[in-house]
Amino acid sequence: MTIFTKNPVHSVLYLVITFFTLTIHYILLNAQFLAVVNFIVYMGAIMVLFLFVLMLLNLNKESEPMKSNLVKIIGAIAGMCLIATLLGAFRVLEPSNEMVAAHADIGLVKNLGKVLFNEFLLPFELSSVLLLTAMVGTVLLAKKDVKKA
Amino acid sequence: MGAIITLGILGILILYVGLYKAKNALLPVTLLGLVVTLGFLVSDWQKEALPLYNGMVIFDHLALTFSILCVLVTGLILLLSKEYFNRISSNVAEYYSLIIFSLLGAILVNAYHNFAMLFIGIEIMSVALYILVGIRKNDLASNEASLKYFLMGAFSTGFLLFGIALMYGASGTFDLAALQTYVATGTDISPIFYAGILLVLCGLCFKVGVAPFHFWTPDVYDGAPILITAYMSTVVKIASFIGFLRLFSEVLVPLDSFWTPVLLTVIIITLFVGNISALMQSSFKRMMAYSSVSHAGYMLFAIVAIGATSASSILTYATAYALASIVAFTALILVKRKTGSDLFESFNGLAKRNPWLAAVVTVAMLSLAGIPLTAGFIGKFMMFNNVMGNYHVVLLVLAAINAAIGVYYYLRVVVSMYFKTENENAGSDLPIPTNYKIVLTLAALLTIIIGVYPDCLIGLL
Repeated sequence: MTIFTKNPVHSVLYLVITFFTLTIHYILLNAQFLAVVNFIVYMGAIMVLFLFVLMLLNLNKESEPMKSNLVKIIGAIAGMCLIATLLGAFRVLEPSNEMVAAHADIGLVKNLGKVLFNEFLLPFELSSVLLLTAMVGTVLLAKKDVKKA
Repeated sequence: MGAIITLGILGILILYVGLYKAKNALLPVTLLGLVVTLGFLVSDWQKEALPLYNGMVIFDHLALTFSILCVLVTGLILLLSKEYFNRISSNVAEYYSLIIFSLLGAILVNAYHNFAMLFIGIEIMSVALYILVGIRKNDLASNEASLKYFLMGAFSTGFLLFGIALMYGASGTFDLAALQTYVATGTDISPIFYAGILLVLCGLCFKVGVAPFHFWTPDVYDGAPILITAYMSTVVKIASFIGFLRLFSEVLVPLDSFWTPVLLTVIIITLFVGNISALMQSSFKRMMAYSSVSHAGYMLFAIVAIGATSASSILTYATAYALASIVAFTALILVKRKTGSDLFESFNGLAKRNPWLAAVVTVAMLSLAGIPLTAGFIGKFMMFNNVMGNYHVVLLVLAAINAAIGVYYYLRVVVSMYFKTENENAGSDLPIPTNYKIVLTLAALLTIIIGVYPDCLIGLL
């Protein structure tokens, strides 16, 4: 439905449904954290962003970039090749990984916190630098508009 | 470890210095911070290299030498940057702190011992760069470059992350040492591990900008401010290569029959695309961009023919390349300031107007082309030697052809400096600020010293 709908807004709404079902899957798999993050970040924030962008862009038939058939075919072939390769790799996998099966509650928030603040403390702290960098950059780049006006 | 903390604090400190409008203090504070970082790095030299923080980072000799190199190159670039940045924008403090953050990312990539660190390092490095590339906010080329770089960078990050995830799925660990044992002992390496290798390879190739993934390089290098281009083509490239080298030399060596053909193809395409496109350029800056693509190809030699000397040959090559690039880009800044364009023609008659600058640029160009007595020659020699040891004769022949093509377009600059006269009689010689003089002389001298006496560098690793 997401792909075949003509109206981009409807398409986004269908995507929300897809994500919602994905969230339910996560809950069924006993992965609280992923479910919550998926719910809040994807369905909440990113989808709203999508909708805003779509409304701002005001897509319609005329402004749609026309792609030649050749490009479409090449794209389809390339995509299929990638899928075939990856599927080939996944097919040979045994479905039940003993690592996951051994820790049934690995997806709980408690475990995540433990790992994050013990083993992965350094990357966790350093990602603050990453966020700070992004913040400085955003302010720097966005300041232009104030100056111009 | 001290180096990472110092750089983190330094970046924030610079932001505060900028906040209180102490503009004159910016450069001294930054350089002081770099010196302290350098001190920490040098003092770690004697210590036994152990993975720190649950195996997140390791400061072994490989990481230390390249971190020192990155810090030094950044220092040189910052020395040049004072008035350059004042010219293009008023937010100088942010530039300094972004460069420092990016350097922090580069050091993390140099010293990673866990994929989480590799990822965060690459991200810190690139996010800072996306902004730095687009720093000239009113310049369309700069904005375009920034957007392109951002989109391409996001894609490559996606590849890298997917690759890391697949490798994790196969081996159940992010840690390089654990991966090493997985690869070395496991007779039943899962196929997704191979898919993971390919995707990580793609992601890293994007970052170093080699051929099938090089499309962003010329536009981004062209659109970015010249000093940022210099920074990108030196520090960032070096760090990405070390990330590459560490992964392949520590973990993936037993699987080399799998990835060597892929990498060989990449190298051959890179060399030809880089050199032939560089041949066609009329703009000096674009020529340097394409030549950086081809240099990335040469540096990959060390990874194809991985062995004990790989690290030191990358070190030599990277140092030579970084020094020569700094000289070239600095000269370009000066010349552009005078003539307002970055075409080859703007170098016409430079030898008459300013013999000293022309001489320095000549040294840099010869070094890039790989003429004996310069550092570039030693770098190329070691790379070719590596490949020769592994009997990749076809690759060697192709590389030699490409080196010959390279000589042509580097010497074009020299020819236009010495043998062509200026179009319009500009008259006055171009003034060179003292800090430019210092950096240029230092870089040219180092190029020749390494060229004459390369053991001082090779002995380090």
